Amino acid sequence: MTKKIKRVLVANRGVPAVRIMHTCCDRGISTIAVYSTPDRLSHHVHTASYSIHIGEAPPAESYLNTEKIIKAAHKMNADAIHPGWGFLAENSQFAQMVMDAGLTWIGPSPNVLSLMGDKIRAKKLAIMANVPTIPGISDVTSVKQIKKWMKDEDVCYPIMIKASAGGGGKGMVKVEDDGDLPQALEKARSEARKAFGDDKLLAEKYIERGRHIEVQVVADTHGNVFHLYERECTLQRRHQKIIEEAPSPSLNHDLRQEICYTAVRLMREIGYTSAGTVEFIFDSSTQKFYFLEVNTRLQVEHGITELITGIDIVGLMIDVAEGKKFEFSQDDIRPNRWALEVRINAEDPRTFSPSFGTITRLQIPQGPGVRVAQGVYEGEDIPPYYDSLLMLLIASGEDRPHAIRVMDRTLSRNFRVEGVKTLAPLLLSIIRHEKFKKGEFSTRFIENHMDELVSMFKDKDSQDEVLKIAKYVAEISALGSQEWM
Amino acid sequence: MDTRNRKKDSGTEKGKALIRPGMTPREIVSRLRSLDGIMITSTGMRDAGQSDYKNRHRIYDLATLAPCYEEMNLFSSECHGGARWHVGVMNRRETPFEEIELLRKLMPSVMLQTLIRETNLWGYRPYPKNVIEYVVANVDIDVWRCFSFLNDIRNMRAVAEVVMKRGRLFQPAISFTQADWTTNEYYLSVVNDIVDLCAGTDEIVLCIKDMAGVGSPKRIKSLIDAIKQKYPDLVVQYHRHATDGLAMPALLAAAEAGAGILDAQEDSLTRFYGQAPILGLHAYLEESGIKVHLNREAAETAVQKVRDWIGHYEWAESPFKGFDHQVTRHKMPGGAFPSSFEQAEKGGFLHLMPAILKVMSLYNKIVRYFDVTPGSQITWVTCSGIVNKYEKERGSTGVRHIIDLLTRFVEKKQQDFNAMTKKEQEELLELFRNAPGDFKNLLLGGYGRLPMGWPDEWVYRSAFGEEWEEKIKSRNELSPLDTLKPDDMDRIRKDLDDILGRKATEEEFILYLMHPKDAVSLIEFREKYGDAPLVLPTNVWREGLKNPGDKVEFCHLGMPYCIEIVSIGAEHEGVIHVVMKVNNKTRVYKVETPRARKVEIRMASGPNQIGAPINGNVWRIGNPDRGSVKEGDIVHKGEEIANLEAMKMENAILAPFDAQIEEIAVKLNESVEEGQLLFVLKELK
Repeated sequence: MTKKIKRVLVANRGVPAVRIMHTCCDRGISTIAVYSTPDRLSHHVHTASYSIHIGEAPPAESYLNTEKIIKAAHKMNADAIHPGWGFLAENSQFAQMVMDAGLTWIGPSPNVLSLMGDKIRAKKLAIMANVPTIPGISDVTSVKQIKKWMKDEDVCYPIMIKASAGGGGKGMVKVEDDGDLPQALEKARSEARKAFGDDKLLAEKYIERGRHIEVQVVADTHGNVFHLYERECTLQRRHQKIIEEAPSPSLNHDLRQEICYTAVRLMREIGYTSAGTVEFIFDSSTQKFYFLEVNTRLQVEHGITELITGIDIVGLMIDVAEGKKFEFSQDDIRPNRWALEVRINAEDPRTFSPSFGTITRLQIPQGPGVRVAQGVYEGEDIPPYYDSLLMLLIASGEDRPHAIRVMDRTLSRNFRVEGVKTLAPLLLSIIRHEKFKKGEFSTRFIENHMDELVSMFKDKDSQDEVLKIAKYVAEISALGSQEWM
Repeated sequence: MDTRNRKKDSGTEKGKALIRPGMTPREIVSRLRSLDGIMITSTGMRDAGQSDYKNRHRIYDLATLAPCYEEMNLFSSECHGGARWHVGVMNRRETPFEEIELLRKLMPSVMLQTLIRETNLWGYRPYPKNVIEYVVANVDIDVWRCFSFLNDIRNMRAVAEVVMKRGRLFQPAISFTQADWTTNEYYLSVVNDIVDLCAGTDEIVLCIKDMAGVGSPKRIKSLIDAIKQKYPDLVVQYHRHATDGLAMPALLAAAEAGAGILDAQEDSLTRFYGQAPILGLHAYLEESGIKVHLNREAAETAVQKVRDWIGHYEWAESPFKGFDHQVTRHKMPGGAFPSSFEQAEKGGFLHLMPAILKVMSLYNKIVRYFDVTPGSQITWVTCSGIVNKYEKERGSTGVRHIIDLLTRFVEKKQQDFNAMTKKEQEELLELFRNAPGDFKNLLLGGYGRLPMGWPDEWVYRSAFGEEWEEKIKSRNELSPLDTLKPDDMDRIRKDLDDILGRKATEEEFILYLMHPKDAVSLIEFREKYGDAPLVLPTNVWREGLKNPGDKVEFCHLGMPYCIEIVSIGAEHEGVIHVVMKVNNKTRVYKVETPRARKVEIRMASGPNQIGAPINGNVWRIGNPDRGSVKEGDIVHKGEEIANLEAMKMENAILAPFDAQIEEIAVKLNESVEEGQLLFVLKELK
């Protein structure tokens, strides 16, 4: 049973909204933007075919307000809703409401959303599907018990002993070898008792230099579940990704096949449909990967997968929502590029504190191998209510060094955002760092190298300097000679 | 180093400088001794501008002379120091380091010369020894002319040691004035001290610094004769201002008496209080049979270059025009002329200048030192203060009265305090009561020993009132080099880093050591306006662009730029919109006029004021458990009292102690900036 989608309401703003509208436009589908009051002049509003105001600035009154969005969809005669990422993308109740309202939901089924939203159930399901999870043991009481578990499950040091009731780093003790184990256990127990009044403990394998690898999966409603290979998203600050690449520089051919098929197996087990991602943590010292969670949405970094595979993932999501069957097989997916994405967030590159205001000038670098996913335009005000993503810059090349060179050109030649600070200087420092170039990094790379990265920031930018001079000329032209002269 | 110039007396050949950077002091002195004529130091880049243009000549314009200087075969270019340093920081907004860097590039074979005020360096107060040593070691200057306004040679020791150790030329200067007590014997004793300090005459050039321009030709000839008789090998340079109108004959007299180097400036820069005109001096000396090592053709080009830009500086010229032979009485130095008149004009007492100059001429017989920085400032502030006070209290009669009183005391009664009437004595005892702190510090030996001894007792009674005896007891006979405690340089550097919020550069640190407040203001200016002081032509620098289509073009960091004005809007509520094209791209600038309404943002300070930790939006005041909080409420330590949201991240504001809310300084949903005041709390104990 297929149904043709003619008009999509995009329940989002900024970069994701614009991204989805682009594919809709390519397919001759008209689009409806929703917007909050401060967003009325935003980029996504004017990219859409039609727009409708849904409420005030706080997300709860606009982009998170399910009733208003469904009402808007009816009013504007939409026949489908795409949630983008963030906001309502993984909200199973909203997905259900959309379907109950007679509209098409472009995304995984409400069932899957709710199942994967529960991390404990998700982990149990993964274990059932024979997907490796971080080895652990609960209700730890003795050294003997831990040693037995380590032997039985072939776990090696380091391990982490944690308070079951834990949080905030209290009652957490890292253990490096057998000798430390007894004291560590005692320490964790006593800390747990003091901090939580509960000395129940658990032990887990500690992933020392973890890398974050995820597999993009697409599935139709006819039983086809394919993977679009993996992405590496290890570089994070404050647990948020800022640089992603595909393929992963950490995996060899066999591991790549193994991790991708593991993801497909899990998604098939779940009964997944539409686009989704299986996230793993990869221990590069032991070459083992462990399941973390399933992201039941289109992801920010999907663009790099599109670049290396040539597939339009948003297009596939619409196909699936329309009930179409995939017209390709797993063997047709052959990545032939390397792609790198950086997130241009409106943040101070030294402190990560948000920077908002008016984008007084926006100059976007183009040239061979560059894709830009833009959420803002020159002159736009960045309001403080939403996330700080201004745009995504994606560079691709025949191999990793080539993709890095393209990204270097993109970030260093005439890329300009004036009016707000962005992460761009930090991103450039990272991709120029020797360790990054060699592919040697972990999720803690940025915190461990922050001073070094900041010291690599460009001292003076000729264009910035000239604008200072121009500012002086403007002031003196308006005000005349000054007393201090 | 270039050794091809060994040839003796290579004269004025083009491009072959006789003296050049990199030569050791001994080589320089030996070459000068063997010369058959005189060399010239051009003061065009420093003292010329200081004496007649308030030091406002910008390096942008002065740099046009550098290619000529490179060819002129000068002994040196005085381009640094004196008040040029401080005025650059305050008014021109360019640093002496940038100037040196540029000049080194444009005239690599010219010796760069500074003027330094012994322990007062380029500031106005004695700096501790460790600061002096640090600063002198880190400024790239070839010739260090160093003077003491007290001729207290002890104060030069730190500078001399570091300069000579660096292999740069130390040029000790004797401060010259013409008075009954400044005899040849007196100056010879000063020169003896200098020769002792510098271990002979082989590595120094002695400067006679006639900073007011008062040395008559005969007097100068006699002084140089006396010095040369005692030290035949000592190379002497005569620095003289033109104020009395007798510069040319005095310079000739100096050359005839054996001075080897004379100071001069471009003829087209010459007004009244600077040095003599270089082309005229060249012609006059050559006609008198004295050889001058100067490439005249290049010097003529430099004189022409000045005419291209000197018109931009008419506003900076002294309002007091013309030579002034009375300088021989009031002794105001050339460098202080324009700034003193500027201050008088700003203070609205320009009409009192003749009276002030008269009081100065009497004052400098009571407290005897040399009127040159910082002494000239002390003289100026003290005397202008006295005159202003009398004018304020008793009008022009009062001014006449004080001049009469001082004249009677100094000239009629030969400063015999007891010969004055009781009433007059009482008045004199009030004379210095309101004198500036620097004057009082001078009396107590803060700057060093006075050249002719301490002033009479009554001066102390007048300055310090009942405490005068104690003060005299506490008077210091030592050099400030030996009494000032060293500064904690690491702490000062950290202070500056803290102010700037980043690591200061070495050069910024030195600027800060000299003039802390003004250096910070300069650094902030440059962070805001970049290299505007260096790249903009002087008319644009001062007045901006006037009419639509006016443009300014320049190169910066190797790229060409063009700024063109499109329109300047009318003022509306304190804001003017200026539309400009910067490299063809239109940009709108909002310029706030002094009438702009400033939205005052209160920042948190002190432990009882809670500030915003980040830029954000106040989306909750209170917490979910208790609801909103209001003024007067009691909150407990660790309790959330507000929450800020920024880019979807929540930031709880917690009460730091048990407290009562005195004030809530923000409203719900207000955007706040980092550090902005949110709450005023009263701690409950």
